[in-house]
Amino acid sequence: MVQNIQIMILGLALGGVYALMASGLTLIFGVMGIVNLAHAAFMMAAAFMAFFIFRDLGIDPIVSIVITMPAMFALGVIVYKLVFARSFADPAKRSVMVLMTFAMALVIEGTLGFFFSNIYRSTTPSYASEAIIAGPFFLPSAQLYAMGLSIVILGALWAMLKFSRTGYAIRATMHNRTAAEVVGVNVDRISMLVFGIGMALAGASGSVLSFVFSFYPGKHWEFVAILLSLVVLGGMGSLLGALIGALSLSVVAAFVSANYGPTWSPVTFYLALFVILMVRPQGLLGKKMEL
Amino acid sequence: MTQAADNAHPGAPVAANVNPSRRNLFIVVIVAALAFPLLQVAVGGLNYYLHMALFLFMNIAIASSWNIIGGYAGYISLGHNVFFAIGGYAAAILFAYFGVSPFIAFPLCGLVSMAAGFLIGAITLRARGPTFIISTIALVLLAKILLDNWPYIGGTNGISLPLLDLPVEYVKFPFYYAMLALAIAAVALSYAIRRSKFGLGLRAISQDETKAEIAGIPTRFYKILAFALSGLFIGMAGALWGYYLTYLSPVIFLSILVGAKFVLMTILGGRGTVSGPVVGAIVFILANEFFVSQFGASELNIAATGLALVVVLMFFPEGIVGTLKKKGRLPKLLDWD
Amino acid sequence: MAHIEINNVVAGYGSGPDILTGITLKIEPDRSYCIIGPNGAGKSTLLKVICGLLQPRSGNVVFNGTNMTGLRPDEVLQRGICFVPQDRSLFPDMTVRENLRMGGYILKDRAEVDRRIESVLGMFPVLAERLGQPAKTLSGGQQQQLLIGRALVLRPKVIMLDEPTLGLAPKISKQIFDSMNQLKAAGISIIVVEQNARLGLKFADWGCVLDLGRMVFEGPSGTVLSDRRIEELYLGRLRKEVAA
Repeated sequence: MVQNIQIMILGLALGGVYALMASGLTLIFGVMGIVNLAHAAFMMAAAFMAFFIFRDLGIDPIVSIVITMPAMFALGVIVYKLVFARSFADPAKRSVMVLMTFAMALVIEGTLGFFFSNIYRSTTPSYASEAIIAGPFFLPSAQLYAMGLSIVILGALWAMLKFSRTGYAIRATMHNRTAAEVVGVNVDRISMLVFGIGMALAGASGSVLSFVFSFYPGKHWEFVAILLSLVVLGGMGSLLGALIGALSLSVVAAFVSANYGPTWSPVTFYLALFVILMVRPQGLLGKKMEL
Repeated sequence: MTQAADNAHPGAPVAANVNPSRRNLFIVVIVAALAFPLLQVAVGGLNYYLHMALFLFMNIAIASSWNIIGGYAGYISLGHNVFFAIGGYAAAILFAYFGVSPFIAFPLCGLVSMAAGFLIGAITLRARGPTFIISTIALVLLAKILLDNWPYIGGTNGISLPLLDLPVEYVKFPFYYAMLALAIAAVALSYAIRRSKFGLGLRAISQDETKAEIAGIPTRFYKILAFALSGLFIGMAGALWGYYLTYLSPVIFLSILVGAKFVLMTILGGRGTVSGPVVGAIVFILANEFFVSQFGASELNIAATGLALVVVLMFFPEGIVGTLKKKGRLPKLLDWD
Repeated sequence: MAHIEINNVVAGYGSGPDILTGITLKIEPDRSYCIIGPNGAGKSTLLKVICGLLQPRSGNVVFNGTNMTGLRPDEVLQRGICFVPQDRSLFPDMTVRENLRMGGYILKDRAEVDRRIESVLGMFPVLAERLGQPAKTLSGGQQQQLLIGRALVLRPKVIMLDEPTLGLAPKISKQIFDSMNQLKAAGISIIVVEQNARLGLKFADWGCVLDLGRMVFEGPSGTVLSDRRIEELYLGRLRKEVAA
């Protein structure tokens, strides 16, 4: 029993981290209608950033989000201006846009791999090898801190969306782009902002993953498939859905991992994706927009 | 004879619509391709060119096949190398465990791929657009984990096959002719689909699936059929390629980069057209070869593939053939639609 | 008051054909307008060009002497022209109050927005009862009232409505036009695109008939309503209704 609760707690912790990673993805989809297949690749870039910040500047990876988030935000704005600014409003071009993100992912992976090679890396702050012992539970500090950070960032995101003027504009654009335009929201600027925010979230995710996982450039595909699975489960465009998807699937995956080995943990997510597609393709809380 | 109209009525005999000079070109090219290995017999030392040629034929077959689902139907599959792997491993199993040569088994392996296509398509094609694309990535990653953990076929260590027992000057010949046959068959299939009611239906689906449904087109069946057909020749190619390499491992067949190249070739040439994938395969193979000789097959290759795709998508998303056609400057030679 | 000039505007969507093929129209102050015409004539497109949702390919739009061509929708809003598109352009999961707040989006002063919302609620008591409800739970008529209310938060000089009675029962449509009469009385210029030509022309002072992207006929609404030619071409069913 204790064993099972422990697994569940760890599953939830990991789910919190995945929720943070998926939030940027689903936000971008909700506003722009584009699935950013390069999201995890950007996360990898941020993870490398955190890695070198830790190794060469001695800055703790959690603290490093102060650097990675703004840097990734800026990168997101640049990428938006270069690649997306004109084209994505046309629904017919959406498939092409998704392909474009795929291509970007390859470019990032190749560049990272070329400069930093394909060896496994992770940042190693002290807590990465510590654990908190609470009663009968043995809880690795890294996962807990990661979860804590994710909660804080997601909470801030939620507050911004719910209460700030910009948050209203973003939500309005997600609900009904034309209506938002008609009340004076500058939907192009909002899209750019959201892409930047999505990238900033990828930046935070990268810092987090640098001490929770060991990573290498090619690993982003695995992350992308996992994130997309839980976003599809929760419903594209729904932040709450992403959270639910992340927590529920991660717990299941944790049990799979504990009982069958960690190799099969990703498979849980992939199979969940196919099951959802068979049963309810729009996910639990998905927008009614074209899948 | 007049140039064939884009939607010539489906029953028309194919030969009657082919421009005579184009038909002559095909004949010349095919005869030349058939005869090329004889040069090796006469002169020798052409193994590199034989290799490039058969690699090209294979990719023509692959690109033309991907085009059926990615171009005609408009459903972009980023994990299509799954069929490559299914065919390859099916052949490897038949050969390693049952002694059946891939040269005999490869059509069966293609059919196995196609059957898998029906099953997989029945699930994944319930989604449209971006969700479908996601499912194709998940598919190839799932397949890799499954194969990595299947000891019967060697898991991550892969499986070795015995070398074909021919002198080194001639060993590539059977592969050469088999791949040539695949290329011709795949292009012929692509052409036949393009001119058929099925092809028209697929095009309607790619333009506006809801309207196509309303118009009475059996969209679900057509999509799944297209997906399955697109796996047929890719499976056969995989069966032969594994034997050619004499070694298969999941990472060779199931890395995302392989699938990405399928996509790049077809889009570069012009998806949705018959000649586009052929042109794309040729251009891509030459560019790739040049790149590898200059920079090696490293991570840079991944970056370059991505960059090439970005450039094509940004500046000429209809591909070489598609863009020329749009501007009315496509040479008749290349207009096979 | 409002004075809008549309000069020889040509416009279309994406890389598609021209929908507006050179339309010229003057919107006088102190007049309300009803635009009618067959499907595809360009009525919605015209409104979108005026409010900045669509940029014209040629021609210009002038408002009170200022050239407005090329302005963004929020800039057009600042100058006092509000647009209520077709298809209930609400934010369905936002509450009625939040929808009204979004109406005042370009105003930075939250307190002022809330004050204005109060006066809008005075005009539409039905909304006051449902402030906390998600907009999608409102009936069709209530949603339309919400849309008009949302537009009013900005105290516009001109309100343009695209088919406000689409999908509404006759009784509710009448209510909507009653609200619009209130707006007229308050001095707001109204331009309405209406399929229900009879209701629309009864409400408005002036009628404009669009076809194939240009103005075919305009005049006092009474004249338009009774013109044989127009009747036959565009109001065909009207004759049958009257005969029956």
